[in-house]
Amino acid sequence: MRLLLTPALLVVAVFAAALSALLRYSVLEFVPGSLQTGGLTVANFTGIMSRQYLGAVWDTVLLSLATTALTLVASYPVAYALARTPSARVRSALLVLTLAPFFTGAIVRTYAWMLVLGNTVVTWPVPMLFTPRGVLVGLVHFSMPTMILLLAAAISHIDPAYERAAASLGASPARVFRRVTLPLSMPGIVSGSVIVFAWTLSAFATPELLGGGRVKMIANVVRDLALDSFNWPGGAAFAVVALAVTMALLAGVGRLTAPADRSP
Amino acid sequence: MARAVVELAGCTRDYGGIRAVAGLDLVVYEGELLSLLGPSGCGKTTTLNLIAGFVPPTAGRVRIDGQDVTDRPAHQRGLGVVFQSYALFPHLSVWENVAFGLRERRTPRAEIERRVRAALALVRLDTRAEHRPAQLSGGMQQRVALARALVYEPRVLLLDEPLAALDKKLREEMRGELREIQRSIGITTIFVTHDQAEALGLSDRIAVMRGGRIEQLDAPREIYERPATRFVAEFIGASTVLRGRATAPDRVALAGGEALRVLGVNGLRAGEAVELAIRPERIRLAREMGENALDGRVTGVVYQGVQTELTVEIGGGQRLLVFVAEPAPAALAPGQAVRLHLPADAFIRLGPEEAGR
Amino acid sequence: MLRLAVLALLAFMTLPTVVVVAVSFNPTAILSFPPTGLSLRWYVNVVTYPQFQRAAWNSLLVTAGAVALAMPIGTAAALGLARGRPRAASLWATVLLSPLVVPGVAAGLGFLIVGAALGLLRSRSVLIAAHVALVLPFVVRSAWVSVRNLDPTLERAAASLGATPWRAFRRVTLPLLRPGLLAALLFAVIVSLNEFVVSLFISTRLTEILPVAMFTYVVNYTDPTIAALSTLFIVGTFLIVWLADRFLDLGGVFLHHR
Repeated sequence: MRLLLTPALLVVAVFAAALSALLRYSVLEFVPGSLQTGGLTVANFTGIMSRQYLGAVWDTVLLSLATTALTLVASYPVAYALARTPSARVRSALLVLTLAPFFTGAIVRTYAWMLVLGNTVVTWPVPMLFTPRGVLVGLVHFSMPTMILLLAAAISHIDPAYERAAASLGASPARVFRRVTLPLSMPGIVSGSVIVFAWTLSAFATPELLGGGRVKMIANVVRDLALDSFNWPGGAAFAVVALAVTMALLAGVGRLTAPADRSP
Repeated sequence: MARAVVELAGCTRDYGGIRAVAGLDLVVYEGELLSLLGPSGCGKTTTLNLIAGFVPPTAGRVRIDGQDVTDRPAHQRGLGVVFQSYALFPHLSVWENVAFGLRERRTPRAEIERRVRAALALVRLDTRAEHRPAQLSGGMQQRVALARALVYEPRVLLLDEPLAALDKKLREEMRGELREIQRSIGITTIFVTHDQAEALGLSDRIAVMRGGRIEQLDAPREIYERPATRFVAEFIGASTVLRGRATAPDRVALAGGEALRVLGVNGLRAGEAVELAIRPERIRLAREMGENALDGRVTGVVYQGVQTELTVEIGGGQRLLVFVAEPAPAALAPGQAVRLHLPADAFIRLGPEEAGR
Repeated sequence: MLRLAVLALLAFMTLPTVVVVAVSFNPTAILSFPPTGLSLRWYVNVVTYPQFQRAAWNSLLVTAGAVALAMPIGTAAALGLARGRPRAASLWATVLLSPLVVPGVAAGLGFLIVGAALGLLRSRSVLIAAHVALVLPFVVRSAWVSVRNLDPTLERAAASLGATPWRAFRRVTLPLLRPGLLAALLFAVIVSLNEFVVSLFISTRLTEILPVAMFTYVVNYTDPTIAALSTLFIVGTFLIVWLADRFLDLGGVFLHHR
């Protein structure tokens, strides 16, 4: 077993090397105007505490929460249909429609929203493009495929016999949903929400293009610092924070979903 | 003197802390069909795996045709194996599945053609050669598995519960076919099963296993009529165990006071406590009082078509299981009084309760 | 009621795609929907724009290189995981899948720092290395699902029939893994082609891949060229996903069949 895993582990080691370089730089002093660095310092992290940067963090968290909530509500019906439809053709169609955006890439999808939100199709009553509203729409659209697939997987594991049993005991469809389906799909809801939240925290292309510079999420700040100001240490510190939070969240979810991974 | 084809000498197999097979000695002779029979976990499949070379023994040697093959890997042992799940290659047709072993032996094309055709004819699947396993029923898949294992004329055929996945009727049909094929080819066969009816009906000899050891190795009739241990007596067939005390070398008094004449049981000493097992089909409904006649009351009646299974309570609260062949000589209903006759030569003496392994 | 909601949501999900495709045919440089006419000029523009040509070439090289490396490495890893004891396998699997949880900007900046330190940023090697690392988890996951669904007794059957371990792999295991490996290949190619954030950090103008080039263009120009390029992307992806579902039963990969 060991031999077969070695090449893959080497690749992960390369990746880990990149991350450790990131970590190293986050505690090195930024020398403005050059890529050289000074000595060890926590200035990069304390710098995050400043109003401007904390604002970006706060905005990111709010946007991510809103995205997660809306994505959940929007994805559930589609996920339910996907999991429960008896027709293989309908399931195929739903799957293709769900997966295709998944695969068309961030730029394409975000650009598409630039068009829609930018008064090309309809003139919006309130400005959508380059506002947090618009970014939210883009983020929800971006997250739906993931949420749909995760929810559908969870729902498909619920034996339909439970729903039939509830109906036979006199529960209306709405009650069946509330008392049986929803609770039983809770693990999927939780893991889906945490995953969408964690990924949205690190969103880059959507806020960058749909926010037009006015909406800054954590990832945008990292880029501004690293690629515009050449402040690698500063950017690294921010990136490390994002990394730590994301990993903590996803590790927590991993523990929840691990039992579900072993198929019955 | 029959030739020994497969020999296991002192084989032990441990899995972590569990001893699946303990110091097993076994000899399988040319042309015989030997069954390994026992409950789950008794080590029968492990024994098969040891012979096939899928797992190495922790201790002991494995010999085939006198040659020590203990260190030889499975693909060099030249045996034929039929797996419980058949393990037919799903991406290959029936033909390609059967031809697989021949191709590994670099058999020339024409020869493969001939042999595969013959093997498929033997199992009566010649019309299905181009089909995929998924398109076949369970019974057909099983026959393909058999053909695949036999086509290159292996030294020994190993079958791991091959009929377990089939429904009752099919199982009984296949049993007969299997035996016919085995006899006609004369191949040494080792058959693993937990189904005693299967073992009794198919085998030349049966090895009854428990806890990694062989409890008794004998012809089916011996196993059934003269079980060597309590476990074998209780595992094979049904029986009732009667507790009593010997009053003479050929007499036993039961707890309820009834006196029984007992023949064919050696070493009964007056005064010693004894346990006797008797098969339910040996007990007869009697009319007259006489030797070994017991009166009792019917407490349970189960109709089974071929026979009716009665539970009869006699003196002392003892319950006997009695099989009455249909059509029964009298009407049988719960609560009814009956008289039973227990033939003196039908008793099997059970040894002391063995500690669980 | 459910059907209505689902249709509305599906419309929401596909609306942007429809708009992009429509706008790509607009004869004028104004982004209008519905388009005022039908013209292919923007498609011509896409194909003739030098930076896109360069970027397409880069995408091809980087993706081909990354996938060529990731497929055998990932498949071997999946086989290794399947052979190990479940506890150890779970642990190693977590390690191998870990790049998935790392934010793109973190990985991007990290690779930039390392690439600069090694002086490799002028070549595509850092890009390929990063793509291999990013694509590998997808390959491992797809391959592992496939390997886990393999009946383990099939290998024993092959051995009992006289096949050496290598021949058993070639004649039995590999053919049966093929669909899963195809799916893995699919994932790998699509993920690599669309990879944006990490590539943004480590690309130069000469080495940038297509999504990065698109990004630069969008930030600077507002004509429908990107709409045309996007449409090409969309059509290609739809085709691949549809074919994959047709031949590989994607539903089985994601959902639990009853």
